[in-house]
Formats: sequence, C-alpha cells, structure tokens
Amino acid sequence: MSTVDLNNVSRWYGNVVAVNDVSMTLGPGVTGLLGPNGAGKTTVLHMMAGFLSPSKGKVLLDGAATWRNPAVYSRLGLVNEREAVHGFLTGYEFVHLSAKMHKLPDPAAAARRALERVEMTDAQDRRLETYSKGMRQRIRVAAAMVHDPQVLLLDEPFNGMDPRQRMHMMSLLHALGDRGHTILFSSHILEEVEQVSGTVQVIVAGRLAASGDYREIRRLMTNRPHVFAVQSSDDRRLAVALIGEESVSGVEIDAAGMTVRASDYGSFTRALPRIALKEGIRLRKLLPSDESLESVFSYLLEA
Amino acid sequence: MSLIATEALTKTYGGRVTALSDLTVDVEPGVIGLVGANGAGKSTFIKILLGLLAPTSGSVRVFDLDPTVVPDKVRTRVGYMPEHDCLPPDVSAAEFVTHLGRISGLPRTAARERASEALRHVGLYEERYRQIGGYSTGMKQRVKLAQALVHDPDLLLLDEPTNGLDPAGRDAMLALIHRIGTEFGISVVVCSHLLGEVERICDSLVAIEGGRLLRADRISAMTTASDILAVEVSEGTDELSAELTKQDFTVTRDGRLLLVELSEEDAYDRILRAVADLDLPLHRLDQRRHRVAELFATREKADV
Amino acid sequence: MSEASVIHDIGYQRYDGPRLGRGAVLGAIYIHGLRAAFGFGRSAKSKIFPWLVSGITILVAVILAAVRAQTGIVALNYVQFDDAMSWLVILFVAIVAPELVSRDLRSGVLPLYFSRPLRAADYLGAKFVALVTAVWLVLGVPQFVMFLGAAFTTKTGMSGVWNELGDLLPAWGYTLIWAVVFASLSLLIASLTGKRAFAAGGIVALFLMSTPIFGVLQLLPSRTAQELAGLASPMMLIGGVGNWLFPGHGTGMPIGRFGPVYAIEAATVIAACLLLLLARYRKVASL
Repeated sequence: MSTVDLNNVSRWYGNVVAVNDVSMTLGPGVTGLLGPNGAGKTTVLHMMAGFLSPSKGKVLLDGAATWRNPAVYSRLGLVNEREAVHGFLTGYEFVHLSAKMHKLPDPAAAARRALERVEMTDAQDRRLETYSKGMRQRIRVAAAMVHDPQVLLLDEPFNGMDPRQRMHMMSLLHALGDRGHTILFSSHILEEVEQVSGTVQVIVAGRLAASGDYREIRRLMTNRPHVFAVQSSDDRRLAVALIGEESVSGVEIDAAGMTVRASDYGSFTRALPRIALKEGIRLRKLLPSDESLESVFSYLLEA
Repeated sequence: MSLIATEALTKTYGGRVTALSDLTVDVEPGVIGLVGANGAGKSTFIKILLGLLAPTSGSVRVFDLDPTVVPDKVRTRVGYMPEHDCLPPDVSAAEFVTHLGRISGLPRTAARERASEALRHVGLYEERYRQIGGYSTGMKQRVKLAQALVHDPDLLLLDEPTNGLDPAGRDAMLALIHRIGTEFGISVVVCSHLLGEVERICDSLVAIEGGRLLRADRISAMTTASDILAVEVSEGTDELSAELTKQDFTVTRDGRLLLVELSEEDAYDRILRAVADLDLPLHRLDQRRHRVAELFATREKADV
Repeated sequence: MSEASVIHDIGYQRYDGPRLGRGAVLGAIYIHGLRAAFGFGRSAKSKIFPWLVSGITILVAVILAAVRAQTGIVALNYVQFDDAMSWLVILFVAIVAPELVSRDLRSGVLPLYFSRPLRAADYLGAKFVALVTAVWLVLGVPQFVMFLGAAFTTKTGMSGVWNELGDLLPAWGYTLIWAVVFASLSLLIASLTGKRAFAAGGIVALFLMSTPIFGVLQLLPSRTAQELAGLASPMMLIGGVGNWLFPGHGTGMPIGRFGPVYAIEAATVIAACLLLLLARYRKVASL
C-alpha cells in the first residue's frame, strides 16, 4: 500500500503557472485526475513521477520526495501520453527490455508476469508495429508495471481507443486497484472517467477544484439547486403539490415530463414519496439530471 | 431510398491487411453513428464512400449512386470533415471557406454568401476575419464543419468531430450536429469512439470491428427498456433491500442501486410506499434501459 | 396604419443555384494560384520577392530600351534577354512553386480539396498553368516593354514596327518554353516536401548542380560532346531548343545537328515531370 502526497505544490515556468497550490493524497484504488486540456494534469503526473521538481511545496511518495530520488522509480510506474515504441520489437522484448532497465533479478519471469496481468500473453511474440492501439497501450502498461510498482500513473491512457479497448483497459485498472495498487490516470473526457472511478481530483487552470466521489461533491454544492427529471401518472397535480414544499424552488413541465429544482436535497428526497402517495399519484421516474460528472465538472469550472 | 447501401464490401491492401471484410449495411437517412476501431475500418469506409478508394470486392452505393463510377456526382452531395488538422494557418476562415465553396462549383457570389452563412450557423462571428492559425481547437473544428456545409450537401461525414474539445465545446458541437441532422434536414454520419455521444445524438448506429460489421441498428432498438427498475436511496439501502425482499420482490444489489424485477404495474406504488414508510431519501427511480455499451461487453480476449 | 411585426427566417437555407462544372473549378484554382504567386491576398512579406524579381526584369528591359533608343545598339535582343534573366527566373520559381504546392501539403488541406469534385489532374493542371503564366509574365512583360521602346523610336515607320513584332512573337514563344520547362521541374521538386525552405533549396540545387556538369562536358575535346553538353542543364536545354527553333536570334549555343534531340529531351522532361506529379498526387489524393 503506497500513498502519494502533494503538499501545497506549485509549478511555474516563467509567467506560466502550470500548477497552483495543489494538495492531494492518493491512496490505494483508482483515482481519476480530471481537467480540461492544459489544466496541468501532465505536470502533476510528471512531478509525481519525479521528472519535474515542484517550484514550491513537496511531492512525496510514502513520505520521501520524488525529485532526485532514484529509489522512487522502483515503486512507481508511468505511462506517458505519447511515447514512441520501437515497432520492430516484439511485445515480449519490449517488456523484457524494461525489466532489464529496472535491473530486476529475473527479467524474463517479471516480463512474463506483467504480460499475463495485461492479458497479452497470446500476442507477446508479435512485433509491436502489428499491434492495434489498445494492444500497444496495454504493452506500455506492462512495461511500466514490470517491476511491480505500488503506484501506477497513466497520462490520458484511453486516448483514441475504441469502446471495447477502453473497457479492457478499465477492467485492468480496476483489477489492479482492487489488489491494493495506487492508480492515478488523467483524462479530459468525462465519459471515460465516469466509468472507471468514482473518485476524482478535478484540476482547472492549475488549481485543484475538488476531490472525492463526484456524486458527493455534487451534494456539497448546496448553493445550486439539485435538478431532477420526474415522470408520474399526473405531472400537473404533482407539480402543484410539490411547489407548496419549501425545499422545492422550481417546477417546469414540458412534453418530456417534469423538471424539479430542489434547494434542499435532503428534505426534498424524503418529501417526494410522501407527497406522491398522499395525492394518489404513481411515480414512474425520478432521475437526477445534474449529478453526472459532466454537470459537476461544469459547475466546478464556473466556480 | 437508403442513404448508404453496401453489399459484401471488402477492401484489402496489398493482399495482406484487410481493412473491411464482407460489410453489408443499409443506412437510412438521419443521424448515424459509426463506431469502431481507430484506423483501418472507419477511414477506409469513408474513403470508399467518397470514391477515393476502390473496393476490392462487393458494392457500395451512396444516394443510389456508385462512387466508383460517378465519384464527382457523389462528392457534390457530400461534405467531409476530417479528423486531423487540415487548415492552412495563414488565411482567414471567411476566405478559406469561400475558396472551398468555389472548388465545390459554387459561383463566386454564392460561394461568398454561403460561406458567410455557414460560418454563422457554426457559431463563428467576428473571429472569421482573423487568420486560422490563431484559432482555438474548438474554433478550428467549427471551421472544418463550415467548409463541409458550404456547398449544401445532403450528407455530412464527420470524423471524430469532438476531438480535442473540452466538455463545453463538446456539448456545443453535439448540439450543433443534432440541429443539423434534425432542423437542417441533412443526414449526418458521425464517427466517434465515445458511446455516450453516439447514444445522445444519433438515431442509428453502425458498429465495425476488425473490419467486420458488429451491429447495425436503430439506437432505439438497442436502448429498449428492460423489466428492471433501478431504485437508489442516499441512505438506508440495506433496510430498503430487506423490506422489499420481505414483500416478495426479487432484489439485486449493484453498488448503490437496488435492481428490482418489475412484474406488475403496482410495483411502483409498493416500492414508493416502502421508501416512504422507512422515511428514506429517494434519489432515483428509473426503468433500466439497455445501453449501446453492452454491444461491446460480450467478447473477452486479447486481439483487441 | 403600421406594418405587422415579423421575425425573419434566417435558418439554414438550401442551395438551389447553379453548380458550375470542372471549367469553373479549374479557373478558381488557376486564379487562386496566380494570385498566390504574386502575393495577392496574403501578407506583405509574400509580395516582396515576386515583385522584386519582376521589378528587376522590367528595370533591365527599360534600360535596354533606353540604350537602344539613344544609341541604336541592341545590347540584348528579346531571346538573349530571357537567357540573361535565367537566374532571376530560377529564384522566382524556387520561391513560388513551393508557395503553390508545398503549402497545401504542409497544412494537410488536400483531403478537403479531393473530397470535392476535383481530380488530382485538375488540381495539378490548374497550378501548373498558373505557374507557367506567372513565369511567362515575369519575362514576357519586360519583353513587351522592350518592344514598346523599339516601336516608338523606330525610324522606319510601320514596317519597323512589324519587324519588331516579328522578333517579339517568337521570343514570347521562347519565353513560353522557359516557363513550361521551369514550371514542371520546380513543381515536381516542390511536391516532394511540405517545407517551403527545403523545396526552394532543392530547386536551386537542381540548377546549380547541373551547371558544372554542362561546364565539364563543354570542355571535352569531342565536338559532339560539346554540342550535346546542353542536355545536362535545364537552362542550356532551353537554350538549345531555342537555337533550333529560332536560329540566328543568337542564343549562341552551338548545337550542330542536334536540335531535334534537344527538343525531344525538353518534351520528355516536361512530360516526365507532369506524369510523376500526377502519380504522386493520385496517391496523396486518396486522403
């Protein structure tokens, strides 16, 4: 079990502040580092991997700084966004090479183990240039994991993958996370993050905007009414009854049904079943419309 | 009349790499999602539709025209938005789109006017007079879309239109595409690897995998309602599960959700009563629908 | 009485107007190319070089015309003028050919062109004719200036003017040969790279490297070798063809009986360049 800590970390390049006073703690499991392009995600990953020093603050792996600390590389694996791989090597050779570079005692065995974990044993003797994008990505993950690091960092790992390749990678990351590894992956595509991990670190223009489970983050935004889509056997009567409730700030009816804005989440969610039953209305659908990662994210961007 | 019809369409390069294999689809007008592996399958398919590549075997028809025989006629009616960078940095959007309008055969005044309108429809206003080199990714994507629209095509081929856009930009692009497909009356083929987007704006889907057809169907057929009701309460999930099981419901737990089998209509009321009696906060009540993603979940192994 | 208020419909309009054929499309690319050659519709920087070259050639023509008017001496006749300006022309095509062709390659804009009803041959043809026109203008306009100078100062009236015209027209034909050969060679080299600087360098290199070969062959003791030496260098090749077509106008290149050989080689070079260009773009055109 390993922990990665960022304590008040900033990183600037002249006048460009790439990362601004970010503090976070990563533990075992899968965390998504989420943010628009240019928000500083790659900079954060590179600082965690020890490639960049923070201009201010400390980046620690299990209490030890990652910068200028070669010992850290045995506990970390990094899969970069763009990496040239030598097409003429086979999958096995590429991972084996990585194992040798890590000076492992038995590189061959380590390579085979890593390939098994990413389910690439069948294709390991084919040349990399014959691989599909998803396969190439998995080989790079194997190479980054060949020394069995506790921490795995991935920069935009799902870039350009088709749905099936993405699902494979997602289940791989989940399996690793379940086994106690600390995994951080970055993405600017919400759909990807939503499906892989509930835990997110949202970074916007270099600042950490929110951390944690995105649904809980949504509930923390009390200044924004929660929006629900409702369908019932009698929308209009239900609307009349609901607007009488203090926890309801607005009701809208259109062809698709009813939209309810609730200023008090707790009260509303308890009141709705009672009211529907009292009025003798059958509730067929209640769907929170803005708890998706996309909505949470857009609210955070506006903060 | 179908929009695009192929019959056993096959394309192999140099006898070794098979990009498309025995593809038979019949696509109706509307907004169609083209989902599949990056690289070989989709791009080859687009090139064949535009008459830029000849198939190795099989047939293809676009608007009931054969692009291998009358490519010019097909291309007059098709607008193409490539995935990759394709804009010159040192001309303005207005000038560039006008020029391409003329290459599509529009007379000079018409090209100018339609370019101006196309840029307005995609949401580029005074920035259209600045050089393209200074544009953001979102603006460049819009220019690409505008040049595909300038000659009033009947079919748009959009290759990863939301590539590189942030969530707000993505939203705007998807809304625009939806408008084009519905209000403007132009059919659109959207290549995307993001199923959420496809489900959101497309009427039908063609999924290609390894050059072969995985599935071609209307989205509505792939997202039919199932007989399962998803119930979510923000606390007390265990108690609710126990109570519902006591009432002879078949309940399965999926993370925070309780999946209840729906056998009769009054199940809705009984579940609601159970929640109210336990004074639990009801967060979600929804009949589960199938998702497009299920299409890809079935197969397992390596060659992916 | 007031008019009823109305919200005007400015939604998407379909287009029912005329769609012009290949000719109009070719014309559009041709004009676009010709304008780009002289920097129209682009930044001021791109106008400097072409106009500098044109300025110099016209200036030389003016000087020649003035000298002739004053002293009656024809320092350079129309045909010799072309040969004298050869290096300027090389520099001109070295800059302009990449403008026409390498820019499109670099920006990746070709898929947008070829997904329209435009063949590779049309695209290339229009660009080629645009470059030929540009080169022809750079040489032809000064030649016309020289003609005007001679025509206005002639001492033999109308027959003098006719005489001059009889000299000018073949020279314009010679200029056309220059334009066609140089356009094909430079377009081919420019199409090999998207980087304009490399293309320009490549074009200049071609002419630079061929000149010493010609020089060496000229020094060989064999008369045949000397007469055939011109085949090795594009400029001398054109000179040879000129000598064969317009003997006595003084391109000064000894070619003996080998006139037809020069002509055939010139035609072959032009055809080969165009065919190679076509082959290259056919491949590129499949997106």
